[in-house]
Amino acid sequence: MSAARRRRPQPRRQRGTGQGAQTARRQAPPPSPLRLFWVPLALTLGLLLVSFVPRIQANVGLTRSLWAAVVGLLVWQVALFARLRGTAEDRSFHTILRPQHYLQASVQVAVFVYWGYFWRPVYDHAWLLVAQLLFAYVFDMLLSWSRRDNYVLGCGPFPIIFSTNLFLWFRDDWFYLQFLMLAAGFMGKEFVRWQRDGRSTHIFNPSAFSLGLFSLVLIATSTTDLTWGLDIATTLTLAPRIYLFLFLIGLVVMYCFSITLVAGSAAIVLFGASALYSAVTGVPYFIDSEIPSAVFLGLHLLVTDPSTSPRTPLGKTLFGVLYGLGVFVLYSVLSAIGVPTFYDKLLSVPLLNLSVQWIDRLVRSLQDSAVVTRWSPDWTPARANLVHMTVWILFFGTMTAIGATDGRHRGDTVPFWEQACGEHRLQACDRLIQIESNYCGDNAGWACNELGRHYTEGTIVTAAPERALGYFSRACEVRFQAGCVNLLDQEHLSRADPRVLDLRLLLREAGRNLLEMPEPEVYARACDHGWRFACDGRTP
Amino acid sequence: MRREDPVNQTPVPGDHVQQSTSNVGRAVLAVLMLGVAGWMYAQRPTSTSQAEAGTTPPPEAMPADLPGFRPDAWFLPDDDLLGFVEIPAGPFQMGGDPTTDAQAFENERWSGASAQGTVDLPTYYIGRYEVTVAQFAAFVDAAGFSVGEQTLQDPPHHPVSAVSWPDALAYCRWLGATLRASNDTPPELSRLLRDSWQVTLPTEAEWEKAARGTDGRIYPWGNAASRDRANYQGPDTTPVGSYACPDCPYGLRDMSGNVWEWTRSPYQPYPFDPADDREGLGADALWVMRGGSFNDPPRNVRAAIRGGGDPGARRPFMGFRVAISPL
Repeated sequence: MSAARRRRPQPRRQRGTGQGAQTARRQAPPPSPLRLFWVPLALTLGLLLVSFVPRIQANVGLTRSLWAAVVGLLVWQVALFARLRGTAEDRSFHTILRPQHYLQASVQVAVFVYWGYFWRPVYDHAWLLVAQLLFAYVFDMLLSWSRRDNYVLGCGPFPIIFSTNLFLWFRDDWFYLQFLMLAAGFMGKEFVRWQRDGRSTHIFNPSAFSLGLFSLVLIATSTTDLTWGLDIATTLTLAPRIYLFLFLIGLVVMYCFSITLVAGSAAIVLFGASALYSAVTGVPYFIDSEIPSAVFLGLHLLVTDPSTSPRTPLGKTLFGVLYGLGVFVLYSVLSAIGVPTFYDKLLSVPLLNLSVQWIDRLVRSLQDSAVVTRWSPDWTPARANLVHMTVWILFFGTMTAIGATDGRHRGDTVPFWEQACGEHRLQACDRLIQIESNYCGDNAGWACNELGRHYTEGTIVTAAPERALGYFSRACEVRFQAGCVNLLDQEHLSRADPRVLDLRLLLREAGRNLLEMPEPEVYARACDHGWRFACDGRTP
Repeated sequence: MRREDPVNQTPVPGDHVQQSTSNVGRAVLAVLMLGVAGWMYAQRPTSTSQAEAGTTPPPEAMPADLPGFRPDAWFLPDDDLLGFVEIPAGPFQMGGDPTTDAQAFENERWSGASAQGTVDLPTYYIGRYEVTVAQFAAFVDAAGFSVGEQTLQDPPHHPVSAVSWPDALAYCRWLGATLRASNDTPPELSRLLRDSWQVTLPTEAEWEKAARGTDGRIYPWGNAASRDRANYQGPDTTPVGSYACPDCPYGLRDMSGNVWEWTRSPYQPYPFDPADDREGLGADALWVMRGGSFNDPPRNVRAAIRGGGDPGARRPFMGFRVAISPL
């Protein structure tokens, strides 16, 4: 028997068709590989069944995406079965439930439940999560069985799927790309590997790998609109006190898996850099927060995979610091090249995964230095983690006390950015365009008309007449009259104050449904947010 | 003692990893990503000229040939002025007078003092027919314009429908630029366009004068409803120009029925003032549409009928025709 097929002892906790049973069976004639193929087959049929639920049947493209996935998986199963048939090779499961997987998945589910309560598309997405999980199990199983004889059956696909979907999912018409994205993640885990500490291990965090790759493709092909990415990044704040919520569930992960140094140092760097930028320029760096909520989520649940990050305290700290700096820099870079900035947190992780060995080497060299040795307390890992968590709790508490987390942020109003742009503050005009683009995307006709005006006049952004017409058209189609008039005459541009409907969109806030707010309250709120026209009791 | 990967299902040393398949796997992954990138590049939006109403690629609605229309001239009508008809300068009576037209609606009344008003218009040109599916498809094809699924579903010689007000204006802009740039544009049209006349939607005054002429008739062909003259109270649109109308002023077709036609006038109370489109910018926009459609009763296809249309609406009974005006 070749070395490649030699079996090794298995841990006692493995169940099912584990080694003990296999050793006993080895005396008998080779069992049919069909013996275990009912599992992927059943899961594939489950995926087929899911394709018939009304949510999925409502969209032809979505239904076909699931059917295509089913066909692909069935073909693979048949091919694999045919290959194994008549050979002595067997296929098996090792059932291992790792807390890293099910605890992380539980935390991610908590985020979906809380966020979805305030933004319904998340709940509408539930069946698609089920479909992805079924797909992921079968794909991962078949990929393993195509390369080796066993598959570790556990909760591993859960955090990968949930983590991916917390940041990006494709719209229904293009959902087949979601399956390809997952496939890329699992293939990256299987094939893109290196030797680390004498072991073969995957280089990239699987979900971050697929998210990073597909982010690059989406950016390169200008197809972000095929995804919900922008909506996902901007709707987390619809859930009230989302920072506190993420902080609290983050504590669970920090306590169980010692990721405090990674998440905490990333957050501290981002808070610090953001505050420094604000002090120097007079405007916030991230438009309406000190750290975007989606980035705050990412530094708790995306970047913290222990197997693709450093394992020493100093390495973890460096890793977190680099993540914070990476997000900070990428935000500006993406903004400068006109790419949606929500990719910042996704593109950083694969780059950091690649730097892990470099960080390990750096840490090893530093650990020999007297300074580091002197400042390394002789704590047990658990105790050290508790100390790190205490520091993190104090830091977050301070940030919350000074209003840097939940609560109103000075950058969340358009008048603030209009004024800052008028005062030629650094990047303020870019931010104004960005924030108006977001609101125009939400169908606030006022914002679309303002964008059209900017792109016609070319004073704060390069003139682009065709683009301006597009914005005027959009404003007009949501019945903002000035937009319609501007379509007829771009020589004498018309402006108007936001209508009450526009204000309801422009003033949206976590946990409050402004669409049902009485008009006088909307105007009072608008006045409070710097809309001067709303202060004199004047209504459009 | 087996060492386990702490988090993921990492194969540990001793597993039967087939190194030879690793390279294949990486190659498959690379091909997958290249394929995805190529495919997504093909999916990217092609139109930058207009708010995206829909994302469905336009069907091929342009026939090789269409009697009465010129495939070599964007499927415009085959006559000396590519289907544009001159409406001479002069006054006409605008609005609905209940004393002579019992079906007139209140919004057609000119003012508190009089039912109708006199509007004096300079010379302008207006399309003999409503814009057809073939003509709009030529625009979609040339400009890479995105349209909704319904817009180009009808046969090529039917009026285009399910177009929003900005869609209609986008067509006008494109046609104006195309006619200006083309050497095949009839000299008279070229001269107008050189003199800063614009291809655009008609104002509602231009539309009404073109429909009823200067003698104050109720319908384009006279004062009595006639289903021989227009497509109304019917099941669907008909090819443009299907109903001969020898009695109609200026020889225009389908001014009544077939599809409602967008104008470039905001929906406001009379009296009509071509310069008042900047009034009421704070109100929700409505733009005037005229002429009624195939499924309307006779009352709604009168020449004075006025409807207020949501500019973002795309309905199967709403289309437009084009004018050339001295703006």
